[in-house]
Amino acid sequence: MLTFISGGVRSGKSRLAEQLAEQDAETRGGALFYLATAATPQESEMQARIRWHQQDRGKAWITLEEPIDLNAVLPRLQANSTLLLDCLTLWSSQVMFASDFSPKEAIEELDAFIQALTDQQIHLIIVSNDINECLPPNTPELLNYVRFLQCLHQCLTAQADHVIQMLGGCAYDWKGG
Amino acid sequence: MKLIIGGYCSGKRRFARQLYPNGYWLSAYEGKYLKDWPTESSAPSPLIIEGWERWIEADLMGNYDVKQLRTEYANQLDTYLAHEQASQQPICLILLEIGRGIVPIEAKQRALRDLNGWLSQDAAERCDEVFYAWNGLVRPIKTIG
Repeated sequence: MLTFISGGVRSGKSRLAEQLAEQDAETRGGALFYLATAATPQESEMQARIRWHQQDRGKAWITLEEPIDLNAVLPRLQANSTLLLDCLTLWSSQVMFASDFSPKEAIEELDAFIQALTDQQIHLIIVSNDINECLPPNTPELLNYVRFLQCLHQCLTAQADHVIQMLGGCAYDWKGG
Repeated sequence: MKLIIGGYCSGKRRFARQLYPNGYWLSAYEGKYLKDWPTESSAPSPLIIEGWERWIEADLMGNYDVKQLRTEYANQLDTYLAHEQASQQPICLILLEIGRGIVPIEAKQRALRDLNGWLSQDAAERCDEVFYAWNGLVRPIKTIG
């Protein structure tokens, strides 16, 4: 099962994703994993932000951290569990600007990750950001990045069972739900 | 007349191609100008028009009056509508959503967003069907009747 949630900044994406993940884990009686994609930050403000998120999530969650190589966390997961990946935007920017992956390899990496989770009946919930409804960036690097993220989004919405757009804390179900 | 609106790389073109596989594309991205129409679209086929933000950007070179430009684009929309009714060939407009970022520092960029937003409103008002494309998915946001 794959759920994709996207929307603008502070539109309620993470809160909804956490609620859905907790409900799913409770219903199915599986473990609850949180995959943080943020690379360990240097700034104290970002470190504090991560601590708030961890405290907000409570003790039921098992937190994993992986900024680039998603498939590296597979051995630490359990079958029939629930995994929340928050967020795809950070992962994609780290892949694009701080890794050796080409966009094509990154898409293959994500596809392999999704397939491995499907094989183990792990419900994957992915949170991302919509950054394509403003003036397109005027540098080729940033334009390529938006294109790459949109490509990931389109791949995910095509195969997801449940697709949700968040706007002002309200959820719109594009698929499933 | 139909309108497809959505952000950058959101699946607008793919949807237009599904609606009109044999449509004629008047596209700013292929170096076409609005003034190329209707001479280039004389063949009896559906007409798809895209790349408006490029044409607006070109209109903002040098001196400009945003209110006057809005009127000119609205008049152009009326011309398309009349042409569609007369020719019995559907017209599909594709517009890029660019209004959801922070306010740009440059006045021309602000004018571009303003004009593109007004054009979207004026187009939606004249179209009997409006679709919103989001991350490869499309849903109607205005329907006939």
